[in-house]
Amino acid sequence: MYRLSATALRELFFKGEVSASAIAETFLKRIGKHDPKIGAFLSLFSDRLMDKAWQLDQKRQKGQPLGKLAGVPVALKDNMLVKGQITTCGSRFLENYRAVFDATVTRLLEEEDALIIGKTNLDEFAMGSSTENSAYQLTKNPWNLQCVPGGSSGGSAAAVAARLCPLALGSDTGGSIRQPAALCGVAGFKPTYGRVSRYGLVAFASSFDQIGPFSTNVADTALIMEVLGKHCPHDSTSLDLPPEPYLQKIDHDIRGSTIGVPWDFLENLDPAAKENFLSAIEVFKKLGARIIDVNLELLKYSIAIYYILATAEASTNLARFDGIRYGKRSQRAATLDEVYDFSRQEGFGPEVKNRILLGTYVLSSGYQDAYYKKAQKARTLIIDLFKKAFSSCQMIAMPCSPFPAFPLGSIHDPLQMYLQDVYTIQANLAGLPAISIPSGFNQEKKPYGLQLVGPQMHDVQVLRFAHAFEKACDFSKAIPPLFDEEVNL
Amino acid sequence: MSEINYSDWEPVIGLEIHVQLNTKSKLFSSAPNRFGDEPNVNITDVCTGQPGTLPVLNKEAVRKAVQFGCAVNATIPLFSKFDRKSYFYPDSPRNFQITQLDQPIVVGGTVTVDVEGHTKHFAINRAHLEDDAGMLKHFSNFAGVDYNRAGVPLIEIVSEPCIHSPKEAVAYAMTVKAIMQYLDASDCNMEEGSLRIDTNISVRRKGEKTFRNKIEIKNLNSFNYMEMAIESEIRRQVQLYCQKPHENPAKVVSTGTYRFDPDKKETILMRQKEEAADYRYFPEPDLPPVVLTQAYIDNVRTHLPELPHQRYKRYISELQLSEYSTSILINEKALSDYFESTLKMCTNAKSLCNWITVEFTGRLKESGKTIYSSEIAPKDVAKLVNMIEKGTITGKIAKSVADEMVLHPGKDPEAIVRENPDFQPLHDTSAIEPMVDKVLAENPQSIADYKAGKEKAFAYLVGQVMKLCRGTASPAIVNELLTKKLK
Repeated sequence: MYRLSATALRELFFKGEVSASAIAETFLKRIGKHDPKIGAFLSLFSDRLMDKAWQLDQKRQKGQPLGKLAGVPVALKDNMLVKGQITTCGSRFLENYRAVFDATVTRLLEEEDALIIGKTNLDEFAMGSSTENSAYQLTKNPWNLQCVPGGSSGGSAAAVAARLCPLALGSDTGGSIRQPAALCGVAGFKPTYGRVSRYGLVAFASSFDQIGPFSTNVADTALIMEVLGKHCPHDSTSLDLPPEPYLQKIDHDIRGSTIGVPWDFLENLDPAAKENFLSAIEVFKKLGARIIDVNLELLKYSIAIYYILATAEASTNLARFDGIRYGKRSQRAATLDEVYDFSRQEGFGPEVKNRILLGTYVLSSGYQDAYYKKAQKARTLIIDLFKKAFSSCQMIAMPCSPFPAFPLGSIHDPLQMYLQDVYTIQANLAGLPAISIPSGFNQEKKPYGLQLVGPQMHDVQVLRFAHAFEKACDFSKAIPPLFDEEVNL
Repeated sequence: MSEINYSDWEPVIGLEIHVQLNTKSKLFSSAPNRFGDEPNVNITDVCTGQPGTLPVLNKEAVRKAVQFGCAVNATIPLFSKFDRKSYFYPDSPRNFQITQLDQPIVVGGTVTVDVEGHTKHFAINRAHLEDDAGMLKHFSNFAGVDYNRAGVPLIEIVSEPCIHSPKEAVAYAMTVKAIMQYLDASDCNMEEGSLRIDTNISVRRKGEKTFRNKIEIKNLNSFNYMEMAIESEIRRQVQLYCQKPHENPAKVVSTGTYRFDPDKKETILMRQKEEAADYRYFPEPDLPPVVLTQAYIDNVRTHLPELPHQRYKRYISELQLSEYSTSILINEKALSDYFESTLKMCTNAKSLCNWITVEFTGRLKESGKTIYSSEIAPKDVAKLVNMIEKGTITGKIAKSVADEMVLHPGKDPEAIVRENPDFQPLHDTSAIEPMVDKVLAENPQSIADYKAGKEKAFAYLVGQVMKLCRGTASPAIVNELLTKKLK
């Protein structure tokens, strides 16, 4: 059953060939057996899940209409709220924080009868590219247990890669869905900024954050996007657009279309990674797409721009974690200032502190013009740059990460870690839809990801190109051997 | 030290007026905007800054802010935006306030007020929307925070430093308050904190072009105190400069925040302004800019109600009321509205105005009530004045009837007169005539004056008769008898 796509699983459930309770039980058992190897989950909703599954079985027996994700287990990154459940954000600060409301994505999933199975590990407050910044546990790459799964949504990527659930949600602020998807060999989609509501997503950088799905194949991405891509009145940046027929449109041919590649920007790419990327481009050529060069030279500044703007926003978004209303309150604190100082000192990990300090600095008077305001202007230039590029192509193709999964503990320098995002950050700067899809393996059998970036609002188009690529090369069917019992038997 | 000549000095005053808008819900959440409830009942997840919550702008608050802008003839930019202002304090649920730094919803504008016989135009710099903070409550061994107020919409109206006397400051502030009330945008209750004024004051020698150091007075909770505080602060600053005439002025008065002590009648330093606080403003990424259309603004403008200064001019030109009593009427919208309703049932505007602003106001003062908050109906006040007009009762009786109306609010004044024989004027000519004769016998000089053409003498004689009968005689009969006998 674990080998099935979300689409296939729900078909079985619709037909009555398998009950929701059986699905829930199967995946809970699988998690019990395999998760200790990779540490993808921070919490499991076992009782809640079995209740929901039982209700869903009742619903089907009574012949009531069933939702689009009926019977499909979905995991959430632990920075999305499920009412009454602990939401840690991978931080000690929120160790005991129980959500007081449902995130919009939670509500949408449950309205369509998805089975929310549990919460996955992440870098603290989604800050990191390896999930090593989690205050709770390390998550390991299902393809190689010595390696990181990428991050910050490493838990969700690893869970889907290990087939512990067919779908999971992540959040992508600078590549936090796509990079772990690439490193774990699954599909990871960051929709257009504003496509999926951020209400109930604990904010890292408000103007960059976007929720999106992990899946083993693009059709499943399309399926869950039909559920998630809805206007939300609680999020003022939510796009008010009519629902997109993702599933209906992803099959359309891409013959005759034009794909841009920023060749200049890829000069320093590691030779093996480059080779993988070139072979992906060959696939597109065979599918009848024309490949052109697009000049995105400005992108060399994108990491600098991103780390100024995102940390500025984060420094204020995380100001609410002060020990007054909820979360950690230091036992040592005797005065108001000590409540602030000690609670934050004890509650936050080093990377979060780094970014709060950086963000506070770039907003300080006297420095704001040189950093924050300049970066804002540069962000506008990048947005314009993409607009120009998309006047001559429908899609831009790039690698997703500069190299495949790296060993746990191997990158200590935060700046080195920030370079992980070199190919993903632009989509967040410009609010563009972008996907990472499996594009093969290196000699050590570590996955590569191909990234496709589309114009704003062209989410369906991104999925269509990804779907065409996937059908042409079949990398999505690969399952990490350690987690593929049917083969092992 | 020589005598200080205050008239050599010019006070320079600027006001920051914070007005809570009376919207149904808060500025960024659906929580009720209501004063006086139990702590932490009017809150949603947004008001306590729960992780994952996001602000959604209240359109009603935007409309009220635009109404204010139109009312003061300000520019309403088609594009304005919100910014985050960072500071840590327990009453701030996100530890940043959402306000408008450089692109506010209202730019410029003028408030026109008649002060001491002159029409003054006070310039507004800007008005912006922002959310209010919660309130800290201190108990014997702990402190708590009430977030009911957190997120209540505020409009902060910043004047130019164009105010030059305590009276002007009060007149300007009272007019801003009146405008808000006329727009039904706020109840402007200073005691409940829905109107809060920060006053910035400096003084300079008359003719000086630059400003000297200013200080800020916070927490003034009445216009009376405001006037007293400004007066005492001006004296303090002028005295300091006069004591040290040769010192660099920047070192004589230092900037700082003060409060007013009403018992000592002086301003007290709360904190010296050290380094300017760094609020690290930047655009609020969770809220798109406010984009208005010209059609929207025009629509608001054409639907503005009558505003205080318009009403002021109407009362003076059409009703011939005095400037003084008009000011009293218009500054309190509810009082003015009360007057308007009596006006529908009685034509003597001047008399109505006097009965409302002087007679009833005085009688109700002790109980802390106002005529519009009492149960005395406008129709009854109109009836009372009409009875005087018709000569049914004398002015003196009317005052006693008014006493009864205050004592038994809601009681019909005609019934009061009917039920009490003392309130019925004397119509019996034979009873009045001896009193007229007595007065004429005692006042030969007045008779001579009258015959010499002095009209005032007649009024004096009428007064004497009324005095003799303790106001009970019908004025019409007294007039008639006197006229006849003086022929």
